[in-house]
Amino acid sequence: MAKARALDKRRKSIKNIRKITRTMELVSTAQFRRAMDRAVAADSYTKRMVHLVSDLAKTGLDVSHPLLEERSEPKNATMLVLTANRGMCGGYNSSILRLALQRYQELNDLIPNINIDVSGKRGISYMKYRKIDIDQSFDQFDHKPAFDEINEMAQRYLDAYLAGEIDRLEVAYCKFISMSKQYPVVETLLPMTEMKSDADDDSSKPGGEKTNVEYEFLPSPQSILEEVVPNAFKVKLFKCFLDAAVSEQIARMIAMKSATENADSMITTLTSTYNRARQSQITNEMLEVISGANALN
Amino acid sequence: MKCIVVTPEKTVFDKETAFVALPLFDGEYGIGNNHTPIVGRLGSGELRLKTENETAESWYIEGGFVEVLDNVITLLTNFAVPSRELSLEKAQNELETAQARSTKTPELLALKEKLVQTARSQIRLAQKMNR
Repeated sequence: MAKARALDKRRKSIKNIRKITRTMELVSTAQFRRAMDRAVAADSYTKRMVHLVSDLAKTGLDVSHPLLEERSEPKNATMLVLTANRGMCGGYNSSILRLALQRYQELNDLIPNINIDVSGKRGISYMKYRKIDIDQSFDQFDHKPAFDEINEMAQRYLDAYLAGEIDRLEVAYCKFISMSKQYPVVETLLPMTEMKSDADDDSSKPGGEKTNVEYEFLPSPQSILEEVVPNAFKVKLFKCFLDAAVSEQIARMIAMKSATENADSMITTLTSTYNRARQSQITNEMLEVISGANALN
Repeated sequence: MKCIVVTPEKTVFDKETAFVALPLFDGEYGIGNNHTPIVGRLGSGELRLKTENETAESWYIEGGFVEVLDNVITLLTNFAVPSRELSLEKAQNELETAQARSTKTPELLALKEKLVQTARSQIRLAQKMNR
């Protein structure tokens, strides 16, 4: 009886694990929906912001701002790594950390001093394990990063950048493209060279649909630009966090889904082995009874 | 005329309006139908709206930009709440912390002034709502 009972015990524990993974899948599905909604809602702000910048560029304004200029000899750089607070999401954390470290080593050759800021408990413990010093760490951003908090953080980076304490800010996070496509990237947020080229592209495009609109600027295009650039940075950082949150939930959903499926197939095989073991045990016992009866005759 | 208020987190307001008065960086600015296209910098303060059936609405917004084009007013702002949800106490606390900030460098001074102004405009609006 021993073997069959052991099999049954294993089957029961797998059933319990299946329940857990299934619940986690459902939870992350719900959180993914919410995170996705937030990301979509934030999108409309970003789009309008880009539109505004291109309108500014069309006025013939020379788009220049301290945040847009690349510094010739960068001395200090900061790399912000966005990971999850929890595991159970497949290769999500490790793929970001792998890419971040690779980039860290590349940067080490170019820039003498690099600080690493980490968000997410997983990343923090990994850096501790690799004995890499962390400058700042955050673990309060879960699946629902609030703009207020990111705003504060972005302001700190802006102040440090303008004061010359950092010359470059890079963010390593998981970019969300679609439901089936997310990949880890390292993006340079400061200086915002990308924004400048965006504006240049737009202004050089001949015959755009709204080129003829003559805006009245209050107070002046230059002063508006001064406000737009830091805002664009903040929103971009916020978007990184939102993308990371969405990607994390997707990764967890997929990991938990396959875990549930694995548990299912294990349960089926274990059930059939258990049945076979039980059957052979019964046969054995019957044989014993019959041979015992035969011996008595 | 459509009025849309967008914060980085969501679109908080999207309705047809008859008249909009918004806080520009240097004072209130009123917009009616068929306004000329403008792009402006917002300050912090009260956004007053009149919807098509003449009901008035009041929002508190904090900085950002406004774009008016083809009878669509788009406000991009970092923060927007209905004015009656403002808390006088909280605003007063904010004012106190803002006033306690150091002013060692010109940047810090500018930031302090901005924060004090924001808190004051919140207090003003909260008091107006309580009246």
